[in-house]
Formats: sequence, structure tokens, C-alpha cells
Amino acid sequence: MTSTAEPALDLAGVTKTFTPVGGDRVEAVRGIDLTIGRGEIVAFLGPNGAGKTTTLDMALGLTEPTSGTVRVYGQGARAAVLGGKVSAVLQSGGLLHDLSVRETVQVIASAYRAALPVDEAIERAGLTAIAGRRVSKCSGGEQQRLRFALALLPDPDLLILDEPTAGMDVGARHEFWATMRSEVSEGRTVVFATHYLEEADTFAERIVMMARGEVVADGPTTEIRARATGRTVTATLPPHRLEAAVQRLRATGSVTDVTTAGDRITIHAGDSDAVALLLLSELGGTGLEITTGSLDEAFLALTSGADRR
Amino acid sequence: MNTTYYLMEVRRVVRDFLGLFFTAVLPAFLYVIFGASQDYSQEMLPTGKGNVAFYMMVSMAVYGAVTATTSIGGMAAVERMQGWGRQLGLTPMRDAQYVLVKAVLGLSVALIPVALIYVLGVVTGAQGQGYLWALTALLVLLGAGLFSLYGLVFGLAFKTEGAVSAASGSLVILAFLGNLFFPLSGAMLAVAKLTPLYGIVALARYPVTDGWLISADGTAPVHEPLWIPVVNVTVWLVILATLATLLVRKGRGRQ
Repeated sequence: MTSTAEPALDLAGVTKTFTPVGGDRVEAVRGIDLTIGRGEIVAFLGPNGAGKTTTLDMALGLTEPTSGTVRVYGQGARAAVLGGKVSAVLQSGGLLHDLSVRETVQVIASAYRAALPVDEAIERAGLTAIAGRRVSKCSGGEQQRLRFALALLPDPDLLILDEPTAGMDVGARHEFWATMRSEVSEGRTVVFATHYLEEADTFAERIVMMARGEVVADGPTTEIRARATGRTVTATLPPHRLEAAVQRLRATGSVTDVTTAGDRITIHAGDSDAVALLLLSELGGTGLEITTGSLDEAFLALTSGADRR
Repeated sequence: MNTTYYLMEVRRVVRDFLGLFFTAVLPAFLYVIFGASQDYSQEMLPTGKGNVAFYMMVSMAVYGAVTATTSIGGMAAVERMQGWGRQLGLTPMRDAQYVLVKAVLGLSVALIPVALIYVLGVVTGAQGQGYLWALTALLVLLGAGLFSLYGLVFGLAFKTEGAVSAASGSLVILAFLGNLFFPLSGAMLAVAKLTPLYGIVALARYPVTDGWLISADGTAPVHEPLWIPVVNVTVWLVILATLATLLVRKGRGRQ
């Protein structure tokens, strides 16, 4: 039996390698250790191909890890699914287009030994008005709320959402998260994958940032946000002063990454003004540029940082 | 069995008018054209156990039933690969329960053309000894089960609804080649014995023909031993089951 101390999700040394037919081996997940406690709301943030979906699939028992262990409330992932402790909203696909909204909920409800009443799941997902509508006639946002209704059926303790708002317009996104918020206040553990920083920022308490199959940052949302939204400063330095400058910059508080290429130095930092000032005065830099990196660049900066560690 | 899911699947089939037309109405129409309305339909078969109309009735029932199982099998494969399999994978429903629902559904839908054509047979003067009606209908349904694998293989290999329609369409050609629509002879008959529908049709008709092949050109009937259709069905069962297994494995590796 599971004790109350068991975390909602516990990944230890988890890796996943695929070998597509006629292709090269792909290391989708390269060693993840992660514990998510009960009641936490955690965002998996990362660019496409970071391994978010594969990691969540393993937590749901849809895929077996190549090595390492996955425990959900102290059980194997499939056992947790069978017990109705975990359910999920998956990425696009997964619905039968010729069924109505209500019929879809009825079919999935019939697969559980104990499920919420069909009408209750429909109401909680905000679908009552369109319960009779064919899935093929539903918008992307409505289909996603239908998947959400399906995920509510077992009344799960852990709810996993894989890019739940992908392809939705801004209005539909807000509506979706408003629905989610009322469900979460019931003390559920929620893990969601996204590549929208603002979603992670407004909804999650903790962000696990993934890139190239690894966790590159993990911490409270406020902290991660500062790192991901920093700026990139580049400048040219006299060659003989380069080495000392790198040491000096690495020791500076808000700097998260320093790289050099020839006599050009690139610094990623939260406080770009301070770095610019330092470069232009003390370090003798010229040709200074400051850019606000895209989120993808921030991820890449964090990954290359992780590689060198 | 999960009856909620089964009944929902039945509703989906009933809603698909075009699919139902090709499964039930078209084979029934073909029976009337090739069987009941022809002058020769009241002639007795060499065994004297039934007439030509009865023979055509069984043949067209096979055609309708395999159309049903091919499309059910094919759509099951396509649905699973388009993400419904992942959705079901999130529930406690086991693969075996899903297969059971789809298998019972395939048989139920195959029963529609068989029932329709047998009722038409009664009305249009198909004659056969009493037990032969039940026995041939049973053999038709059993044989049609094999073709759910045929649909499954197409669905798994090509992954689109179009491929499943193509598989159903290809049954017309297989039916001609399988000695189903009208009696073949000579080289065509020799080739026919290698094709997948041949064994199923021959076995379904066996209780009434006792293996005597009727000819369209007035030559004397030829007797065919039982082992020929049995080997045909066995070999095709092995081929289709092996292909389906390989394709499922290949699909898993790709996930």
C-alpha cells in the first residue's frame, strides 16, 4: 500500500532511447531525477524536442523507460492509471470525430470501474451547452476541454496536461486556464508541459525547465523566470585581457553564462545594464550589443551551461 | 464485455449510411442481379441439395460480410494509431477488452448483409435443405472473421481512412478472382485457388455443393476435394496474422 509520505511523482535516473525504423538512435530523455510532491503545481517548460512529452508518457505508463524508475504515489505508472490516481490531457489527436461530446465522455467513463457522473464531468469542463455537438464540429479549444472532461472522470489525484493549449487562440487559452484553476483549488497535483513562458508564469508555482532530454533548471517560478528572461550582451575585448574578463564576469551575480568565440565574448545575464557598464569601463570592451534572447535561445544557453558543468 | 462501448460502436455504424450501403445494400442488389433474377436461378445444383439461387445467396452473403469485417478491422487500426489508442491507454481498459468489443462488432455488422440477403433468398425462391441455411450462414460469419485481419493489415500499414476504403474496394477484385461473382474455369480457376477469398467462399458453399464446382459454359461439373479450400484459408490466415503481428511490432518501436 502507499503511505501518505509518497510523492505524487518520483523519477529516478530515467532515460528513454528510441530507434526509429531505418533511423539513428534518439536519446529523447537522458537521465532525469525529479520528485514532485503532493499538491504541487509544476510546469515542464522547454522547446519542442526537449523530451517533455516522452517524460510525461512514462509517468502515465504509455511508454516504458529504457532505464531508471518511475513511481506515481509509490506505485508503478500503469498501476496508478488502473487505480484512477492519475489521468491526463494529451496533445492533439485521440478523439473519435463522429461521436458527440457526451458520447465520448460516456465511452471513456465506461472504461472505469468508478467514474464521475457523465453530466458532472461535462459541466465541470464547461461543455454543458455543446454536449450534443459532434466532435468534428468542435473548435480546437472545445476539443481540448473535452479531453479535460475525460481526464476528470476518474477524479484523479495527479492531473497531467501535455501542452493543453497548443493551437488555441488567446481567448480560448484564458478560458481553458480559468476552468483549470477551479479544479486545482481542490488540492490536486498538477503537472503540465508548455512552451509558453507566460502560462508557466501565471499558473505554476514551480518550473522544471527541460532541454535536449535533460532538466536544465528546476526551481520556484520567480527564479526561473529571471534566468529565462535575461538578456544577451556581446562585445569585443583585447585578446590579452580576455581570460581575466571571463573570470571576472563569471563571478558577477546576475551572469548565468559566458562564452567566447575568438576575441568576441557573449554573456547571458539577468542584469544586462551592469554587465554592459563593466564591459565598457573596466574591461575595455568595444562594439557592444545587447539583445533580448527568445525563449528558445534562453533554453539553449541554459543547456550549454549544463553541458560544461 | 463493455456494453456501453459496444452500443456506441453500433450507433457509429448505423450513422454511417454510405458505409452501410456498401456493406449491406450493394451485395443484396448483386444477389438479385446475378442470382434471383436470372433464368438459371431455379436450376438445381449437381448435389440436389439446393438451387443456383441458394448458391448465389451464400456467395453474396460472403461478399457483404467480408466488406463489413474488413472495414471494421481497418478502422480499428486507424483509430488506434490516430491517438484514440493513447486515450484508451489512459484508462483501465485492457487491449483484450477493446479487441473483444471490435470482434463482436465486426460479427454484428457482418450479420446485417447476411440476414438481408438470406431474407431476400427466402422471398426470391432460393431453395436448400433446412439445416443448410443455418450452417452456411455460420460458415459465412466465421470466414468473414478472417477478413477483419485483412482490414487490420491495411489500416496498420497505411494508417489512413482512405486506405481502409481502398481495402474494402479491393474486395470487388478479390471476389471476382475468388470465384465468387460467377463461376470461373480453366487457367482463371487455377489462379483463383491462390487468392484469399476463394477458400472462404468455397467452404461456405461446401455444405450445399459437396465440392462440385459449377461451370458457366455448360461443361460437366468438376469435383474439388475439401482440402483445397481448407489449405487456402489456413495459408491466408497465417499470412495475414503474421503481417498484422509484424506491423503492430513495427508500430510499437516507432512510438
